[in-house]
Amino acid sequence: MASPLLLFPVVMAPVVFAAVLAFLVRPRPVRIPIKGRHVFITGGSSGIGLALARLAAAEGARVSILARRAAHLQEARDAIRLATGVDVAVFSADVRDADAVAKAVEAAGPVDVLVCNHGVFTPQELEKQDLEEVRLMVEVNLMGTFNLIKAALPPMKQRTKATGLPASIAIMSSQAGQVGVYGYTAYSASKFALRGLAEALQHEVIADDIHVSMIFPPDTETPGFAEEHRRRPDLTNIIAGSSGGMKADDVAKKALDGIKSSRFIVPCNFEGTMLSIATAGLSPQSSFLTALAEVLGAGFMRFMGLCFQWNWFSSIENWHSKKKGM
Amino acid sequence: MASLFFLFLLLPFAILLLVLAAIVRPRPVRIPLKGRHVLVTGGSSGIGLALALRAAAEGARVTIFARDPSRLQDARHAIRLATGVDVAVLAADVRDSEAVARALEAADYVDVLICNHGVFLPQELERQSLEEVRFMVEVNLMGTFHLIKAALPAMKQRAKESGLPASIAIMSSQAGQVGIYGYTAYSASKFGLRGLAEALQHEVIADNIHITLVFPPDTDTPGLAEEHKRRPEVTKLIAGSQGGMKADDVAKKALHGIKSGQFVVACNFEGYLLHVATVGLSPQRSYFMAFVEILGVGLMRFVALCYQWSWFTIIEKWHAKMRSDLLRETSDSLHT
Repeated sequence: MASPLLLFPVVMAPVVFAAVLAFLVRPRPVRIPIKGRHVFITGGSSGIGLALARLAAAEGARVSILARRAAHLQEARDAIRLATGVDVAVFSADVRDADAVAKAVEAAGPVDVLVCNHGVFTPQELEKQDLEEVRLMVEVNLMGTFNLIKAALPPMKQRTKATGLPASIAIMSSQAGQVGVYGYTAYSASKFALRGLAEALQHEVIADDIHVSMIFPPDTETPGFAEEHRRRPDLTNIIAGSSGGMKADDVAKKALDGIKSSRFIVPCNFEGTMLSIATAGLSPQSSFLTALAEVLGAGFMRFMGLCFQWNWFSSIENWHSKKKGM
Repeated sequence: MASLFFLFLLLPFAILLLVLAAIVRPRPVRIPLKGRHVLVTGGSSGIGLALALRAAAEGARVTIFARDPSRLQDARHAIRLATGVDVAVLAADVRDSEAVARALEAADYVDVLICNHGVFLPQELERQSLEEVRFMVEVNLMGTFHLIKAALPAMKQRAKESGLPASIAIMSSQAGQVGIYGYTAYSASKFGLRGLAEALQHEVIADNIHITLVFPPDTDTPGLAEEHKRRPEVTKLIAGSQGGMKADDVAKKALHGIKSGQFVVACNFEGYLLHVATVGLSPQRSYFMAFVEILGVGLMRFVALCYQWSWFTIIEKWHAKMRSDLLRETSDSLHT
């Protein structure tokens, strides 16, 4: 007869805990509608950006895409029109140029969902890499995002006040923005930095009903990836090969779902979810269920992380001894 | 009976410790400072100066690197007065990759490179100029890339010749573990350093070079005094407005961590908690720390969620107060 009495706290404890988390989690979750709203996507003429634009257009959003080359933008526009019947607005600018970005954002009109998806990635050992390439990644991936947010923010704030609807600033990061591995000093630096930006930014814009989302895709089959793969150092292939690749459309779907649910961290596959639990850090979390998974799973994930590092450092050791042996 | 049960309970923990002892990478290392060349950037004031003082007192051959030659001279005198040791000085702006390359060449080789320089200007991104954002990214992040790129070849050579482990230490900040109101640019630059460090450790481990990231809290330095003048109200409410740790205490912790080849160095108790919460996939050489991390990270995530609850509540309340103050002002002015 003692057993039901013992069972009660055992069953209630997680329920109580989940309730506590439901009370604690901040910011509170919101639904961010995209139908009929202005979605502005950078790097929108190819890869994940193009997939996002197609998806958003198909869901009834008013889509603008920004990229550097006018020809690519036209092709993208045609492709989207063919696939969805929807016409998107195109803007040509280099995200490194703050003035050009400001002009493009102004011409596009107030944005409801800003998707900073543009990015460049050239893997190489820092010792071998040109500082120009390092600088390119930091300028495009990091400063470019600052330029966009700075330009879009004031009208976004006006817009949420006027419409009473929540807005979103979504930032495309990468699993390389959750863990730095061989060959990715510059790329990981730029992507880790986006997280620092995003965590602080969320504090600054929550009162304006703007919600920040970070998307962490794995290797994704895009033209950019094909380029990157050609240059990958051996060891990067050996190490990063441990993460599976995804189709751009699937990444776009996960990204859009995450944006619409105002999630701060948006993983794209199972491995990504594990990585996100391992690297949750002090990031905000609006879903109490995910918070529960994080609290319960973080310990095991740390152990997994240590196993990964053991595997990676062993690979590095083996590769070097093989080279010396040759 | 009870003691057997107790032992049985401890068994899984003992097994975990054993497994961790086998798998933690990179392996632990001791990095000697005595008689070796330690170069400290941002070495003419604050934490950098304290680091230079300590390293000199421990018998290292020290070079301090900063922008202003006269402040470098002041620092050199201060160190000579305190330790009797004469340090070398190098003047250059870390943003200038060529100047950095020339300076590192003049320095010959470096055994322990401490990238400690940094600037921090808190402000809401909406109000901050892109120039200031760029300033922080250029100095804190690109400046560190410049230094490492310039120092690496000679470091590798030297580590091979001397057979002794070398170190690249990077001064981050608790703002490099969590981003808060007012710190978009600063946190961006400091988070960036972690991505750099994790990847770099993979690339240089085979050359016996060991990376250390130091995460100090607010530290009593001239830099902090300047920063406090411009801290937004909300940042003060969240991060506090008091002074912080003493620079010398931070330097002591930093140097200790560098000598033990620790990847992450926390400087106070809060820092340890923050470290466990944000450990992510960082490498860990100490099987005991790994053990603590595994057992503690879940609880720390809960504590983190509590902190975010508190911070978002502060932000909400502050905005409500601003709105009601504005309303009151408006109604007052209407009535006069």
